[in-house]
Amino acid sequence: MTNRNLEKALDIVSELIMGRAVEKKGDNASLYQEYQNNSEVYDMVGLILKKMNINIFEYNYGLYISPGENNKTFGYTNEELKKAIGVKLNRELYLCYFIIYNIITRFYNDSANYTYVEYVKQEDIIGSVDSTLAGIISNLSVLAVDEVEAGSFKELALVWEDMPVVSGEDVSVRASRGSKAGFVKLVFNFLTSEGLMLESEGRYYPKEKFKALVENYFETYKGRLYEILRGDKEDATH
Amino acid sequence: MAEEFILTRDIIQDHSERMLNIKKYYPYFKLTENAFTQFAGGRFEELDMGYILMAVLRFFIEENNFRENDVTYEEYKAFMHGIYRRDFAIALDSDEEAEVTSYIFDKIKNDGKPFAYTYFDPADKKRKTVRMKLIDSRIKEDVICYYITSDAIEFYLDTKEIKDESSISVAQVLLGKMIAASNFRGGIEVIKRINSEVSRLKARKNEVLNILSYDVFEGAKAYEDFVNTGMRWFEDEQKLFAKNMELVKEAVKRIESYEGDDLGKKDTAREIFYLEAELKKAVNKHSELLAACTDLQIKADEIIEGAKYSKLRRSFNFKDALRTMMDDGDSTALQYMITPILSLNTKKQFSLCLIDELLMAKPAAEEKGEKIKEDKETVEYIYEDEVEERRISHNYVEIIRVLLEKLSRCQIGEGFDLKSFNFDLAGIFDGIYSNGDYYSMLVHMCQKKRYDIDEVAVDTDTFFEADLKEASKGMSDLAFELSFDNEEKVVIKDIFEISNIYFKRV
Repeated sequence: MTNRNLEKALDIVSELIMGRAVEKKGDNASLYQEYQNNSEVYDMVGLILKKMNINIFEYNYGLYISPGENNKTFGYTNEELKKAIGVKLNRELYLCYFIIYNIITRFYNDSANYTYVEYVKQEDIIGSVDSTLAGIISNLSVLAVDEVEAGSFKELALVWEDMPVVSGEDVSVRASRGSKAGFVKLVFNFLTSEGLMLESEGRYYPKEKFKALVENYFETYKGRLYEILRGDKEDATH
Repeated sequence: MAEEFILTRDIIQDHSERMLNIKKYYPYFKLTENAFTQFAGGRFEELDMGYILMAVLRFFIEENNFRENDVTYEEYKAFMHGIYRRDFAIALDSDEEAEVTSYIFDKIKNDGKPFAYTYFDPADKKRKTVRMKLIDSRIKEDVICYYITSDAIEFYLDTKEIKDESSISVAQVLLGKMIAASNFRGGIEVIKRINSEVSRLKARKNEVLNILSYDVFEGAKAYEDFVNTGMRWFEDEQKLFAKNMELVKEAVKRIESYEGDDLGKKDTAREIFYLEAELKKAVNKHSELLAACTDLQIKADEIIEGAKYSKLRRSFNFKDALRTMMDDGDSTALQYMITPILSLNTKKQFSLCLIDELLMAKPAAEEKGEKIKEDKETVEYIYEDEVEERRISHNYVEIIRVLLEKLSRCQIGEGFDLKSFNFDLAGIFDGIYSNGDYYSMLVHMCQKKRYDIDEVAVDTDTFFEADLKEASKGMSDLAFELSFDNEEKVVIKDIFEISNIYFKRV
């Protein structure tokens, strides 16, 4: 290990943490080359980020990072995320997660297959959430009042079902918690600010970062994710 | 006794179903109750919400199901304009009309929320909520469109027709009777209702397909339900259509051969031809429904097959994962799916209130010495291995007590073997041979060949001696030796094999 290699590795890590692009083209092209061609730098970057519980993914000649599971330092807490999106209640936050998940499923059936959908619109996502919750909503026609647990999908379905599509007669809605369209807009605004999506005339296009993280994260950690789905949420030492 | 049982069963088991049947009427009564008394100081009290609701629903059925158009707010407004003039003969200025029209629409939509009422289900012993919407909305090409829900169509049809699993068949029987009785005008009305039911089934078919495309399991259930309540009647319905067409043809022949009053003949003939035309339309629509349902069958098979294959693939399947989460019912798992694809949160938050505190906090005039307190940690933690240790120790002591008691009954120089000791143990402790502590105790015990409880009381070398010390409290003058017979094996439960041990008091 040489000081020069360590320095390069730290340069790459710091650029990534600062949110700057490290790609084949652009300002950090030399760093990207270093990462690609120098195995020691490659290993060091991987090790440093691993120790910080940060995931690194390579996609289409670019490097992308995201916080690892339960990363207390670099990840969002629920409270921070609520503030960042603009919602107040936990059930609203989980509804946002659900909407994001639905956005992912518009582009991907599974982590290995992109559906070739170019963009999505607000109404597509409203329709998608409606359809995904349709099973639960149809069951809500008869509902045991005291059976709706906090954090359950029934609770999400109730929040969604009880909102009008838009709050007024105006379709060009603003992001708000009062209507389905407003809610979806809140989520899109957040994803845009996260650099995951790009908005153009009401159409939302997935950015490279979105594709990089969705394709790689779910593919790499599918084992752990299936563990979580089986109810093992505590063990982060996978 | 049996009658009483049937009575109780009828009351309890059928209650939920009855409540579900009442469900469709609930919005009507909810809406008509004090509909206009509180609104605008009772200025529009002469309007009848019940009538308006039925008219609006009929309008939506006409637009959604007969013309297959969604309704915009402007179209609804234009329809309401006619109602005020024609049916209530009240003059409203444009502001008043806009106000009352919007009020009525909000009421019927229930501000976008479903109508909900709560009842007690005696079978499940739980309070349950029944929910339904009359009008729902969706965005189509940047315009909000409204459409009638299938629940509302069912309610509308139920107010006049007999409810049956196949409303089409019932209506057709009715139609046959009307044609036979030469009530052609009434027949036309019946055909319209048949068309409405066909449209409802078509809408339901689309809903089923939609659910299938997102959730195969829920979709399969909805599909099965649709087959049972709708599709299985198609054959009967087709036969009845053919029969009614025959009846109409006969009626046409009759009117052609009829020689009588020209004016009456013309009117009747016009009604029959109109009826025939409507019936042909209905047959066509029904055939379309049949084709659509066949298409649904094919698509449902494809989707279910596709879902089976995707199960075999090794990549992360988003829809499968979502279904697993939804089956589990716990939405918090979503957090683990979404937060790892977000950026790093490098913006650390600093409360603005702290700035005030920083500015306001003055340094003390004199620095006071701080006392260093000795912090003692008082909390006692019991770790899992400690719990295990305690259990093992407890079991060892119990077993050793039996051993010492047996030895104390022996004369010096006498003893017994492991078989005899095991026999005693089995008499005292149930399931001793399934307890691993028994075997581990034997292993610990065999570390030494001689034990003296007086020596052990002073000094303990091994874990076994520590437990022996505990077990021999209150005893003295007892020592024993162990000898092993490798030739003779003690077999326990046909699985475990231990060399026989001889315990001799010394």
